[in-house]
Amino acid sequence: MPVTTMRSPRRRATAAVAVAALGASGLAACTPDGGGGDEMVWAIGGAEAQTGGAFQQIAELWNEENPDRPVTVETLPESADEQREQLALELDAGGSGFDILGVDVIWTGEFQENGWVESLEGVRGDIEGLVLDGPIESAEWGGELWAVPINTNGGYLVYRTDVTEEAPTTWDELCEIATDNEVGGYIAQGAQYEGLVVNWLEYFWGNGGELFNDDQSEVTFDVDLAAETLEWMAEAYESGCFNSGFNSAMEEEARIAFSQGNAAFQRNWPYVYDLTQSDSDDEVAENFDIAPLPTFDGQGTVTALGGFNNAVSAFSNHTDDATDFVVWAATSEEAQALLGAPVLSSAYEDADSPSTQLLGEILEDSRPRPPSPAWAEISIEMSRQIFEAYNGQTDPQTAAQNIHDFLESTL
Amino acid sequence: MTTLSDTTLPEPAAAPTGRTRRQGLSERALARVFVAPGVLLMALVALFPVVYAVVVSFQDYTRRQYNGWAGLENYATALSSSRFWESLWFTVYFTVTSVGAEFLIGLGFALLMNMAFVGRGVTRAAILVPWVIPTVVAAQMWFFMFNVSPGFINNLFGLGDINWLGQSGTAPFAVIFADVWKTAPFVALLLLAGLQTIPDELHEAAKVDGAGVFRRFWSITLPLLRPAILVALLFRTVEALRVYDLPAVMTQGTFGTESLSMLVQQYVVQTPNPGIGSALSTLAFLIIMGVGLVFVALLGRDLVIGKEGS
Repeated sequence: MPVTTMRSPRRRATAAVAVAALGASGLAACTPDGGGGDEMVWAIGGAEAQTGGAFQQIAELWNEENPDRPVTVETLPESADEQREQLALELDAGGSGFDILGVDVIWTGEFQENGWVESLEGVRGDIEGLVLDGPIESAEWGGELWAVPINTNGGYLVYRTDVTEEAPTTWDELCEIATDNEVGGYIAQGAQYEGLVVNWLEYFWGNGGELFNDDQSEVTFDVDLAAETLEWMAEAYESGCFNSGFNSAMEEEARIAFSQGNAAFQRNWPYVYDLTQSDSDDEVAENFDIAPLPTFDGQGTVTALGGFNNAVSAFSNHTDDATDFVVWAATSEEAQALLGAPVLSSAYEDADSPSTQLLGEILEDSRPRPPSPAWAEISIEMSRQIFEAYNGQTDPQTAAQNIHDFLESTL
Repeated sequence: MTTLSDTTLPEPAAAPTGRTRRQGLSERALARVFVAPGVLLMALVALFPVVYAVVVSFQDYTRRQYNGWAGLENYATALSSSRFWESLWFTVYFTVTSVGAEFLIGLGFALLMNMAFVGRGVTRAAILVPWVIPTVVAAQMWFFMFNVSPGFINNLFGLGDINWLGQSGTAPFAVIFADVWKTAPFVALLLLAGLQTIPDELHEAAKVDGAGVFRRFWSITLPLLRPAILVALLFRTVEALRVYDLPAVMTQGTFGTESLSMLVQQYVVQTPNPGIGSALSTLAFLIIMGVGLVFVALLGRDLVIGKEGS
């Protein structure tokens, strides 16, 4: 039945839908959407990226000085693995939503090999000499600079001064004290995850071990040395030198155990210093101090470098401004002063906090984990082997050999 | 007694046969035309990822970089790795023990909630609380409960320094315990719905015939509850087979608590090796689908018997 004379109900409905659709698209056009505007987007995660955190304050500082090219912080999740997944999702799709990428020190190789980041070799001259060498090294891959450090991190020993007046300088000494008191041993990051690899590398490096040669073209992993280090860990856990909660502890569990008075020593990152003062039992809060991590021979210290670098996304529409921002964030004294673990060398010269002072000392003995593109795989496999070996599920020699073979397979 | 089971399901309301002799499409054909786009869209949304995963599982990747066709290599890698078999073993062990315990406890809860007594509303609400809490939150909570420090469980029961999460044997126990705590209420809810469809007259008649409590439970409640039980077991089994969050948060897969889904997640998201990840996820899909089909077959037969009997 042809409709010619009057508008059928169906027609009217169609018209209504069309009008509604037009309205909706008009609205959508006015809605500001995160990545499409003129603002640069700085995608970075962790506690400092939360409202009021240091990264937010740095962004505000930049916006005051550069109102014509503002930056906003896109807060990524708390855990590094989730941050990496979120960045990977955007970058894998070639998305231009993020201009500046907060990159963990071990992601450099992976991000570069996937073609996600711009080369920053051109600004090397602007940061060298001002910024600490260790962090710069962590932003290099294949001899080229791919990011500029923003903050750094290193582990140190937190100990109870009512258990021992002097901090131990060797692991044997530490274990003697740890097993000989009622407070409950040494706690660190012993759960099966990246943190365990960091802790183990500190023992292994301190013992003279290496994973790769300098340009990561060859595996220089000494199987016997690694087995010896694993055996030491297994013994320390067995004998009660390591706290009984060692094998399920990450950063926070270690901090809580110490704060509650259940551990005589902990290895942790500097963020725990202020929290231990404010968040502990009185007995702990009044009786603790910090020191560099011990070594096997009592000489020096070694700590694995943490922290974040700022890379410029290869898909950014604001490459030049973003490059200016990352250099500024690393070299501006005002910006760096907002951070607990700055990368600007001069920031350590007149630091007030004992934690920052100690960090300044130990960073000279810090070492970056190799920023290999295969680091995610290496870390997962190593954490499994180390965990099983020190918990007595695998023989240390076998575990060490497995790590060696896996490292070979990633070249 | 066997005739009783015939009444388990009310006979489906007689579907309108729609054999109208009017012009144009019959009502039934029209219904098909209208429903078709929806079905098609659902099929696309549901099937596309599955098919895509199967395709990817035959391809070779090094990390994110594509290297070409791999044939069955990824499957060979997966099936020859001890990690696959260990995680499969834990997944099956987890499923059997947790679903078994959940069923028994859930049935107890359901019977309790089905009784008429003062404070029934509060009891029901209390039983359902764990189910309302998101699984990751529950997992984190039980992590703190079982962990040596602060050690709530050890303190509560005066157990000293038992490292629940850091030992073989107790680690799987802790994970299964948390799962049972979390999902027994869900089973209870499904079974309660089934219980409420059983008419009181049957119990009363049996009572008159001199059947005791146990006899009535065994011969009336259980057979009539069969469809609800099967549905509950199907839901829980399929869900338990793809468990991820509880062991991931509580133990990170240590001490034999790595589930199949955790392995898949590692290869797809963390490392990422899409080839092996897809092969693993396809294997997991086949296993879960197989188990699901067994249940559906059992359920279907139940439905068919119900229909023919009436």
